[in-house]
Amino acid sequence: MDLRDRLRRAALSRPGVMLVALPGATPVRLELEAELRRRGWPRSESPAAADLLVVAGERDPIGEDSWLDGIWEGVPKPAVRLAVRHPGDAAAALDTGHRLLREDAGTRHDLAPAVPPSGGESAAGRNGRPGGGRGERTDDGAGGHHDDGGDQDDRGGHNDHGGHSDGQGDPDGQGGGQESGHGDSGGGDGDGDGGHGGGHSSHETHEMSGPAGLPMAERAEDRDGLTLDRLHLPLGPALPDWPAGLILRLVLQGDVVQRAGTETLPVRRRKDPFWDEPWLRAARGETVPRAEAARRRCAAHLDSLGRFLAVAGWDDPAARARRLRDGALSAEPGDRLREDVVSLARRVARSRALRLLTAGLGPLPAAEARAAGVSGPAHTAGGDAYDRLLVWLDELGRAAGQFGDERPLARDDRTGPRGTLDGAAPPSRGLLDVLPGLLSGAEFAGARIVVASLDPDLDELTAADRREAAGV
Amino acid sequence: MSETAPLWAAAVLPFALLALAAVTAGCGAAVSAAAERGPAGSARELTSRAAAPLREALRLLVQQPRTTTAADGALRRAGVALLPTAAVLAGAVLPLGFRSVTDPGVGIVWFNAMEVLAWAAVWLTGWGPNSALSLTGGYRFLAQGLAYELPHMLAITTAALGAESLRVGEVVARQEGLWFALWMPAAFAVYLLSAVAMAFWGPFGHPLGRDAAGGAAAELGGPARLVLLGGRWTLLVVAAGFAVPLFLGGGHGPLLPGWLWTLLKTAAVLAVLLAVRRALPAVRMERYTEFAWTVLVPLTLLQALAVAVVVLNR
Amino acid sequence: MLEHALFWVLAVLAAAAGVMVFRFDSMARATYALLTSLLCAGGVVMLLGLDYLGVVILLMMTVEMALMAVFMVMYMMNPAGLMPMSMLHNTKGAAVLCGAVFAALAAGILLAPWPARRGRPPADPTHDLGMSLMGPHMLTMMTLGMALFATIVGTVVLATRRGRYDRFGDDLKARRPDDPVPGGGRR
Repeated sequence: MDLRDRLRRAALSRPGVMLVALPGATPVRLELEAELRRRGWPRSESPAAADLLVVAGERDPIGEDSWLDGIWEGVPKPAVRLAVRHPGDAAAALDTGHRLLREDAGTRHDLAPAVPPSGGESAAGRNGRPGGGRGERTDDGAGGHHDDGGDQDDRGGHNDHGGHSDGQGDPDGQGGGQESGHGDSGGGDGDGDGGHGGGHSSHETHEMSGPAGLPMAERAEDRDGLTLDRLHLPLGPALPDWPAGLILRLVLQGDVVQRAGTETLPVRRRKDPFWDEPWLRAARGETVPRAEAARRRCAAHLDSLGRFLAVAGWDDPAARARRLRDGALSAEPGDRLREDVVSLARRVARSRALRLLTAGLGPLPAAEARAAGVSGPAHTAGGDAYDRLLVWLDELGRAAGQFGDERPLARDDRTGPRGTLDGAAPPSRGLLDVLPGLLSGAEFAGARIVVASLDPDLDELTAADRREAAGV
Repeated sequence: MSETAPLWAAAVLPFALLALAAVTAGCGAAVSAAAERGPAGSARELTSRAAAPLREALRLLVQQPRTTTAADGALRRAGVALLPTAAVLAGAVLPLGFRSVTDPGVGIVWFNAMEVLAWAAVWLTGWGPNSALSLTGGYRFLAQGLAYELPHMLAITTAALGAESLRVGEVVARQEGLWFALWMPAAFAVYLLSAVAMAFWGPFGHPLGRDAAGGAAAELGGPARLVLLGGRWTLLVVAAGFAVPLFLGGGHGPLLPGWLWTLLKTAAVLAVLLAVRRALPAVRMERYTEFAWTVLVPLTLLQALAVAVVVLNR
Repeated sequence: MLEHALFWVLAVLAAAAGVMVFRFDSMARATYALLTSLLCAGGVVMLLGLDYLGVVILLMMTVEMALMAVFMVMYMMNPAGLMPMSMLHNTKGAAVLCGAVFAALAAGILLAPWPARRGRPPADPTHDLGMSLMGPHMLTMMTLGMALFATIVGTVVLATRRGRYDRFGDDLKARRPDDPVPGGGRR
């Protein structure tokens, strides 16, 4: 017994963590990523292998984020869910989660329970066992200790189809008969998907007759004129290396994206978008040193670069980019950092394999970009995913050259990392608008790379009215 | 020349392969951690980093298994169990020095048949959980198999052609003076590529890619995940180890005993593969298949032709 | 003794898996039941001492069933084969046909005057197999192989809608083919 106990403690000495970032919580996400790296805890890509589910940001006060509960259902025991609202809380919150995990192998602690929607019922049983630990601020809520007993976690939205169980397939062996009385499910499927898929509870709920009441695939023409099955797949908001808060509704045939639509989660943020902060502050008349703006731009591009490389499956430089990103945001002296950034940019730019694998994906000519309101790197590149990557690398090198520049940023310098900040709409709005057009016809993996190469920052979406409020 | 090992070797084989796999995974983890957290400050830190796969294995062992809605559990379990089984069965014809667990007359074809079982394994693992992302991972491996298998078959056939035998022991014996890698460089290079592709690892790790949240392993937690990932590392060790008898002279070498040479050469091949993983992004099949069919297949055919001409003139 | 036991295990498994092919209502399960059956048959062939043929059966059948999965994705994008579907077509006709073939084969086995064994089994059956295929029948085999290959290429060319003029322009001068998803060959 004692041995088993010791074994379990050793097993959970470094728990697997799935990090879900909500839009508007960029600083919290960065702090959590840095903290997890310091501790050397393994990161899980899906809830299936995670012990700790860490939500960066604040849960929706009116309970619109039930997709988080879908992910939570998918985490096998031992499991702890917690939310981190402020960057300073990261370490303490992780300590608390770790302690609870090591207490009991059968544990399921929810320290960030859903807020019950008005008139709805709460997702987790709340028996009010206080789950707060030392140093936690207000993240603990009521630690609902809920056992879901079975091992059946409902992960809907996976498009299994229900189907007629009459055992009569069509004679030519094509499963997936959509003619059995279900209309076109119109892309709005996915009820609390297990996290990779889309979150919103569906707007149009179908009466499903199939097992698990899930929507079915239907058939449609593919690009070669064959009538094949097609699948509605919501992507996001909790995929690894995915823009926080973005939901793509894809229509897939095999591996090919036929159609894509974008949705976003509501952004909850009290301050300027993190990546645009220095320029917005300068615009309001504050004195912001250029070095600070350069570091912020550098970090923003390194963040995008890390995401792009991780999606392209090149882990080594992706990890380096993230380490340098955290260095650029901390007070690390500039000289050493500059060398590292420049050498990383050179290494990525030199890779022929990366060029061969990403050239030709998501071409966006400069004229089209301008028409859609895209400015910044995507407009400068005026080409495919690889061109956009090269522009990032270019701007990285330039920004690294300004690490020692202590002159104040000009008031009319509005070139944020993702584009001009004085347009009618925030830069990421334009990026989101061009996305569906670039995705149709791409393969799944290519679509992921296109999204990463544009890397819209959803924190910006509420920035327009903020700037008006600031009198810019 | 070659002989069959005693019966107990068959019982030891899976554990030996697992140990090798764990060591390889540890080295891989140390390399990744260096990128993630900077160079290790001390030997103790390095050891702790290299032990990460073992810690992860322990963690998955205490995690409770889970299923997904309306999954085909039987097929998923079959797929997960098939992967390490195929790796060990392929390892049965792998000679350590000059002795393997079994040395059938068609050892090379046997090896190929066993690694093809991995296709079925990964596909079933992806199909079973009833999740779109794991399905994506599953069919990615099918596409990968279609891309790498033909050049791979031609490469190992070339080695058999050079030895005029399908028996692995015979292939080793024929390399006493000159390694095949030296006069069949194209076949050797293609074999190394396909060894990585076979184990769907590193640059060819797309079937378990991060962009699909873990691909075929997206819905696997607990022991099932451990078996799949352990099976993958074992398959990598077996595939890399098989390059030694096929192209690198097996246990032949001066001074040291044969088994030690085999181990050293296997370690060298694995080190090269780890370096390749560091240097390359994930290879996507829609970009690789054309290269495989229009460049690698003709290349390996020409290589086989050259070897055949040499063999005929002996 | 061990061989006998192995034979019966494999034979029963092969027959049972063969029956399950028609009992399962999921395409994936039926496919892999069929694969199990064929792998057991390959095992039986190996027991007969024909190692090469047996192992090649394992290899070919596994690859074949893996390829089947490509079509499963085309026609059933719903993972796990959630949709129960009958795998049976033309049941009556098939039953009659199968019964007749089985009866004919069984009658053949029981009624044929099997000759007594002359000579010894070869030391290396693989070698002998190769000699008998490629010795006197080399020309036949080569022709057959090329004809099959040409047939495969021809059907694929006929089946695709897009030809080289669609890809490289009317004068075939385009540097890069115009493909819906660019391949990695020409850059």
